[in-house]
Amino acid sequence: MRILFLLLTWLALALPAAASVPASEAALRDALAAGAAPVAKASTAPGPQRTERIEAELVPMSAWAVPGSTAVVAIRQQIKPGWHTYWRNQGDSGGPTTLTWSLPAGVAPGDILWPLPERQRLQSLMNYGYSGAVFLPVPIEIPADAAPGRSLPLRVTAHFYVCSDEMCVPEDLDLALDLPVREGAAPLDPRFGQAIQDIVAAAPRPAGIEARVALTDGRLVLTAAGGPLAGAAPRWAYFHPFEGGVIDHAAAQSGERGPQGLTLTVAAGRGLTSNGLKGPISGVLSTDLGAWEITAEPGAALTGVTGDGAIGDGEGAQTAAAATALPDFIKAAVFALLGGLILNLMPCVFPILAMKAASLSRAAHNPAEARRDGLAFLAGVLATFLVLAGALLALRAGGQALGWGFQLQSPGVVAALALLMLAVALNLSGVFHIGAGLQGAGHGPLSRLPGVAGAFFTGVLAVVVAAPCTAPFMAFALGAALFMPWPMALAVFLMLGLGLALPYVLISLNPRLLARLPKPGPWMETLRNLLAFPMYGAALWLAWVYGRQTADALALLFGAGLMLALALWLYGRAQAASGKARTAAIGALLALIAALGLGVLAGKAPAASSEGVAPSSRLSSQPWSEQAVQSALAEGRPVLVNFTADWCVTCKVNESTALSSARTAQALEQANALYLVGDWTRRDDAITAELQRHGRSGVPLYLVYAPGRSEPRILPQLLTEGVVIDALKDAID
Amino acid sequence: MFRLLTAASASLLLLAACQQQPAASPERTESAAAPETTEAPGPGELAPAFTLVDAEGQQRSLADFRGKTVVLEWTNEGCPFVKKHYTGAMQTLQREATADGAVWLTIISSAPGTQGFVEGEEAQAWKAKHKAAFTHLLLDPTGEVGKRYDAKTTPDMRIIDPQGRLIYVGGIDDRPTNKVEDLNGANNFVHAALADAKAGRPVQTAYGTPYGCAIKYPETVEG
Repeated sequence: MRILFLLLTWLALALPAAASVPASEAALRDALAAGAAPVAKASTAPGPQRTERIEAELVPMSAWAVPGSTAVVAIRQQIKPGWHTYWRNQGDSGGPTTLTWSLPAGVAPGDILWPLPERQRLQSLMNYGYSGAVFLPVPIEIPADAAPGRSLPLRVTAHFYVCSDEMCVPEDLDLALDLPVREGAAPLDPRFGQAIQDIVAAAPRPAGIEARVALTDGRLVLTAAGGPLAGAAPRWAYFHPFEGGVIDHAAAQSGERGPQGLTLTVAAGRGLTSNGLKGPISGVLSTDLGAWEITAEPGAALTGVTGDGAIGDGEGAQTAAAATALPDFIKAAVFALLGGLILNLMPCVFPILAMKAASLSRAAHNPAEARRDGLAFLAGVLATFLVLAGALLALRAGGQALGWGFQLQSPGVVAALALLMLAVALNLSGVFHIGAGLQGAGHGPLSRLPGVAGAFFTGVLAVVVAAPCTAPFMAFALGAALFMPWPMALAVFLMLGLGLALPYVLISLNPRLLARLPKPGPWMETLRNLLAFPMYGAALWLAWVYGRQTADALALLFGAGLMLALALWLYGRAQAASGKARTAAIGALLALIAALGLGVLAGKAPAASSEGVAPSSRLSSQPWSEQAVQSALAEGRPVLVNFTADWCVTCKVNESTALSSARTAQALEQANALYLVGDWTRRDDAITAELQRHGRSGVPLYLVYAPGRSEPRILPQLLTEGVVIDALKDAID
Repeated sequence: MFRLLTAASASLLLLAACQQQPAASPERTESAAAPETTEAPGPGELAPAFTLVDAEGQQRSLADFRGKTVVLEWTNEGCPFVKKHYTGAMQTLQREATADGAVWLTIISSAPGTQGFVEGEEAQAWKAKHKAAFTHLLLDPTGEVGKRYDAKTTPDMRIIDPQGRLIYVGGIDDRPTNKVEDLNGANNFVHAALADAKAGRPVQTAYGTPYGCAIKYPETVEG
């Protein structure tokens, strides 16, 4: 009960992070709903003007304007949800917001200082625009002879294309502002001054980045270096050109980064492919580190812009970040809970549960101890999820391309886990024993502590080994979670932990269920010995994964395992016999040192080269690359992509069932489809970026690309033959 | 003792897990090239064949008009950009083109239930309602033909020469607004291309950036 209360407190803390809608916006929306009847063309009175879809107002950044200076005013928009207005290059459809000023003599308007637009995908089109609350700042030159004490009447007709997915409505709104003129530095206007100042500070500007562009084979290759890009490590980059026809707005942009900058490649627009590259290309380069205006001159690529890894265009991050509303958070949390529950059934977790089941039967007749045990287990699970999730979020924030399951991408971790599994299995087999509490005797304070600590660390172990088994529901929850603000992301991971620990916790908290368990007896020892075998199985599986991850170091791991078994047997003997205890204990210590030494060597073994990894599916496949997908599509062939990893049991199960059958092979042949496998067993930034692009943070991910369609179809994580065959049939229709 | 060992191992595991991997190995040079969109044909290429049913229920194929200049115009009567042209300019252009012997096919690729979609009597009344002068109004409710030509907006124009090659692809003019006054002084690419074709010259401007409202294709299947 207390734990549930703590969890609810967690959620309560996360909710304010989700409620990103400022209070003033809510008030505005109320005013809109309750307000005056919508008018197509408003009168030129100062203040907000409204239509059914948009409210606009001309607002100042500062409380007054100083003669001879540049004042900043802004077109404030509040757009109805589902509608948007556009950037200076609207993309494929719609049109930019334009302003027609009517100003007193000597007052000169500048160009709109456009904030970075959102990418708004509409089926196969891409637009660049804004939604919700928008400010378009405009600098206004105030003449030196403006008389202090008077007001300057600023009038503008703002022409918006307000579009939804279904239609575009042009709206003309006449806005007015009487800007006071006074001497002395002006403070920020209390209503929107701070917001406008933030937008002005963040708006993309030239930043001394040098850029070149070349047109080859219908592709535009943009290289940018220097300025804020030098020495930076962006995770994604996207180029928004100022003119239409330069790029195919809807196409993905992919690139590479280097020590001095980055390279972006994108399908060129028809304007360039028809007329050729005649002059410089200007636009906004946006990355996760910032957005800047660049002008790319036609010419050879710059140096220092490749070699540090592939980067994506951040579309997955964009769309996922936009969807961090409360309903999505709740959905992710519920899915995480369900995922955790189902994770209990997955082959990775089952051995741990077997161990837990053994200890529960031991404490079954003592409800207080069982309750402590259950809560300690829950605490262990939750704490580990917190730490792992925190580490993952921190590393990703630091620029590492990691996904869920990242701990198993390192051979050292896999080796250590395999040895640990072996030790636990040997304990269950009775090779050695631990403490007095295990014998069923002793309810004193001394035996309580090891029990609690043991339960806690069993929880820790359960999480560490569970990571590679991606249960259904988990992919969505984890993919969404990694893009949420971190309190919400951590809350989702905690829900996952709760789901994982829930069955055990419920039983341990419920005295009636506990009483149903049989009384302790000799059967317990038999059960423990039996449960040792799933653990041996887990150790063997991890050893297999280790073997695939390293070039030739499996022998080292086997040696370490052997030494460990010997050490533990000697230790067990030392416990049993009192006389020869010392010899046995020394022998155990020596063997243990040998085991640890071999283990460390095994952990440091060089990793296998990526080409050596053979896919475990029986279908003929090729390694995944973006190029391979596109050239197959260009030939008119559909593509089936399988992102997998050796340590991901769900992936392996799918590969040996749905992706290995004769019927699937036949369907691939009939569709003339290309089967590509992306192996994520060890870290691969290009695959991480591609996973991110589809809103996922781990494997498995199954994509079916159809020629003629811009976006691939994502298949469910638990594959069946029928799903794959249907998707392939659909791709050739 | 064992539990302590488990504790120590678990802590070591977590520390190891936090260890960073070395930077991506240099032999992995499969940095992705940009994805190529499956290209619909551009100026100079053969126009894809199609068969659509017109407003009167007759089947019309592109092949029927081989030997004549064919103009394809995507339209949507609710789109403000189309409305600008239909205040008179588009109708005049249609009249002049057909008088010169060209075949003008107006195509509606809006999906059922979306803006611009018409069928039955409404489709038959469309020409008179807008005082249009096209040769046929073709209905493309599945959006197949629109996608075949990579038509994105309304209006979007294609001109096909008598040999079946595209000689103009893109927007109707160089003033991407919905304001009627912007028709004056705009460079109408379709008008210019037709004039070039009539005079036997190669078309000077074979592409103009299309603008307008997005064509309301049916939702694509998304997994």
